[in-house]
Amino acid sequence: MTKRASLIAFVAAVVIQALILVAVPARKVITRVTGKTVVLQVQPVDPYSVLSGYYVTLAFDISRLDAFPNARGSSEGFPYGSVVYAVIENGDDGIWKPVSIEKQLPANLPENRAVLAGRVHGGMIKYGIEEFYIPEAQREYIAEDLTKNQDKARVEVKVDGRGNAALERLVIEDRIYE
Amino acid sequence: MTPNQNLTTKFRAALRNELPIWIQKGFISEETAKQISSTYQLDNLKAESSSLLSAVIFTIGGLLLGGGLISFVAPNWDAIPTPLKLALLFAALLSFHIIGHWLWHSKHWRRLGHALIFCGCLVFGANIGLVAQIFHISSNWYGGFGAWALGSLAMAWAIRSWIIGVLVLFTSFLWFVGIQNDNHDWPASLYPLILAFCLLPLAVMIRSRVLYAGTIVGIIAAACVLAGQHGSARQLLFTMAAGGMSMWTLGELHGALAWRVEFANITAGLGLGLLAATAYVWSFHWLWHPAAFGSMRSTWAIVFFVLSLAASLVLQRRGKQPQLWLTAGGVVVGGILCANSLLAWETVANGEFLFTVTTNLAALLLGAVLIGVSLVDERRPVFWLGTLYLVLLILSRFLEYETSLLVKSAAFLACGVGVIFAGISYETYLRRHDAPSEADNAGGGV
Repeated sequence: MTKRASLIAFVAAVVIQALILVAVPARKVITRVTGKTVVLQVQPVDPYSVLSGYYVTLAFDISRLDAFPNARGSSEGFPYGSVVYAVIENGDDGIWKPVSIEKQLPANLPENRAVLAGRVHGGMIKYGIEEFYIPEAQREYIAEDLTKNQDKARVEVKVDGRGNAALERLVIEDRIYE
Repeated sequence: MTPNQNLTTKFRAALRNELPIWIQKGFISEETAKQISSTYQLDNLKAESSSLLSAVIFTIGGLLLGGGLISFVAPNWDAIPTPLKLALLFAALLSFHIIGHWLWHSKHWRRLGHALIFCGCLVFGANIGLVAQIFHISSNWYGGFGAWALGSLAMAWAIRSWIIGVLVLFTSFLWFVGIQNDNHDWPASLYPLILAFCLLPLAVMIRSRVLYAGTIVGIIAAACVLAGQHGSARQLLFTMAAGGMSMWTLGELHGALAWRVEFANITAGLGLGLLAATAYVWSFHWLWHPAAFGSMRSTWAIVFFVLSLAASLVLQRRGKQPQLWLTAGGVVVGGILCANSLLAWETVANGEFLFTVTTNLAALLLGAVLIGVSLVDERRPVFWLGTLYLVLLILSRFLEYETSLLVKSAAFLACGVGVIFAGISYETYLRRHDAPSEADNAGGGV
């Protein structure tokens, strides 16, 4: 390989690595910039698994398949790993509630509704927003706060038109963790 | 296996020390000494040993440097705003790569440059994790390893690096385990092919034995993981036996065709080791219980089997006696194991005894093949490995079955006497074998 060809190959490899690093958060960044804000109620967290390494593992009202009226009793219609679209609606208290679960991306939703894409894992749905990374210095504090005030914990999530979701912040009463 | 294919640094260093003595005693002329020195590249020895040491030191130094930088930034990491965090990550990546590349092209610091680019690839992997953390990305754990493998593969090819190739091997294997556990059957079943396509040409091009043998081991290991997850014990046996057989014949093929002979011994040796381990594990009676067997979906095992048969046919045309007999012995052993795994499905209910006996015979034959290799190549370590393998096999049978203490004691005594007798016979054989050549030398001197 000539020196010039070697340099081109090297630069191409560095560019590929840089592009991969840009691609990893790209969808989340776009969703954050262009998406609609929804607020989800955090479900009670198992106090023994609040902290897994450097992140809090979260579950929401809409994480259970049977939280959606049209999926109750028919979970066999949603096989493991299949992609589903959860339609949610803004409630009176500002928390978004489950409406229905769809197998295709629903179109023309009204302003007070949004859709989140997820994958079925048994009776649960994972939206890719279940892990909230926390600063090392605040690990114990946040874990304790979350365990004591589980019913007051909410997350703010940005959702785009295709159902992609990006976790923005965790809010417990008036305390905001980003 | 073919002897003396890999001229070790130890041999060359000894040769370099001997040459002045040979010239002094008049065994060879200075001209001949120069030819020998040129053929075995003895002048490069010092540079090779010092560059290997410096490569190790530089890599360790690079890792410590990276660790030091991370430790310096870590305490203040949470307080740093996101854009600055991202800038730091990219700056670290580019610094390692650019400085590494600059040194790589310098005359004296090529190894240091290589080590820094390797550290840059490690930084790249760490950056993927940190970026995911900054943006709260909770994806499948193996996705990051897939991205790491992809970026490192580009760099391994760009600078023709064996160590970055090995990094690709490890990270991509973790990705494979993840997708395979997550029931992504289609990409998982293609992984051995992807690995072969991405890394084998690189290993051949840069003549890296570690990367070549490691990639083949990775391919067979991935096929075994697939066989174990979606199949049954007999499918795993088929895959391991066919994989070991294909690896051994491939190694032999390198020697017979005199193409990339440096790959011959390591490939053939690992293949033989896999075959020996497979025969030993399945020599136990309890593994042939009907409950351990199920359906057979062994695409990769069939590929390995066909490849080893094709390689055997080429070896039959190109190979020389007695290596040919030894290769045939290995293929027979692999063939018995594969046949057992294929036949076990229909007849296992009545055939446990037959399968156990034939597998034990295959293992015994493999021990004999090892000893045969040692006699042909005059290699003591292989002889002792073959002997110990046979002893292990015999003792395992006596410990596996309920026999009286007297019989067990007789078995231990027989094995002990057998090993001593085999050792004495082997040393006598070597002495007899050396005697004619010594006599010739003596005659030539007179």
